[in-house]
Amino acid sequence: MTPDDLVEDLLGIAPGSPLAELRRRRPEARAHAQGAYRELLMPEDPGNVSHAERAALALRVALREDDRALAARFRALLEAAGADEAIMLAEDLSDGIMEGRLPALLRYAEMVAAKPASVGQDTIDALGAMGLTPRDIVAVTQLVSFVPYQVRLIAGLRAMQGESAA
Amino acid sequence: MSRFTMEEVGWTPRIPPVEAGTATPAQLAALEACPPAQRRSTYFLTLAQDPASLGERGALFNSVMYAPRGLPRADREFSTAVVSMANGCVYCTSVHARRFAELSKQREAMQRVLDEGHAVETDPRRRAIADFSEKLTLTPGAVTAADLAPLRAVGMDDLEVLDLIHSVAMFANANRLMQSLGETEKQAAS
Repeated sequence: MTPDDLVEDLLGIAPGSPLAELRRRRPEARAHAQGAYRELLMPEDPGNVSHAERAALALRVALREDDRALAARFRALLEAAGADEAIMLAEDLSDGIMEGRLPALLRYAEMVAAKPASVGQDTIDALGAMGLTPRDIVAVTQLVSFVPYQVRLIAGLRAMQGESAA
Repeated sequence: MSRFTMEEVGWTPRIPPVEAGTATPAQLAALEACPPAQRRSTYFLTLAQDPASLGERGALFNSVMYAPRGLPRADREFSTAVVSMANGCVYCTSVHARRFAELSKQREAMQRVLDEGHAVETDPRRRAIADFSEKLTLTPGAVTAADLAPLRAVGMDDLEVLDLIHSVAMFANANRLMQSLGETEKQAAS
């Protein structure tokens, strides 16, 4: 079953605990972070970028940002879909240039996550030439820009957990 | 001379924005979830190409930057300006530095940070906010409870700390979107 809140599930923030209660003082931020995760990873209408491709892009960004717990969640989505090749490609951090659509999307994910200033008009036009519509391009860019949000939210909340444990 | 400024900076999208006159009902509904002052901007009209993500992400942004109580708005703007500098987003830096200056009336202090970096910040609260914001931005995996101690020392409570974390995280997102989906207009030489 999909947990009600990915971040609280991942960090083991129990219902009724002080940190859970604190997050409920910002109910919109809590609900819409989960909503963005849902709409970016498993939208009802994914356009030309499949759920498996989306999970692979999220997995790559989480690995590059070195958040292994979050990466494991995205990997689990791919495992459940039987997308073994996508897992292999997403977890290949060797920087080798591979042919094909998913490797090209993964390279775009890396650029946006690690060096967004290096994206140019030619980068975006290349996505269009692969058959991505403006909507697909925005969706992919939103997705690979949202994982860094999750990484920092999780890191910040983990530090707060450390405070109360001290 | 730093490349950061609080003057207005231009931004040109790399894909066509949605036209307000021909937007679909789903696109219009998603724009309604975004901050009222910005929902007709070129940037949000570009994001409206994918209404499903914009509806959630716009509402998230609205809450992070404008939810009442907790961290004062000026502090959220200051934090997001520092994050945007760390991420090299000249456009976002200009917008949020300007908003901080308007809200706080501390224009000179902001200008000094833009010119010389936040290490020159002498106000203890702003310095603590800036240090934490930069660390969570650049090395999130290295952040521990010890990094929250300077925030507690300047009197921040749990809700303020949560709001600060949200602000920093939001601009990990916003800076990447802004730099990827469009071109920031170069500053005229002055």
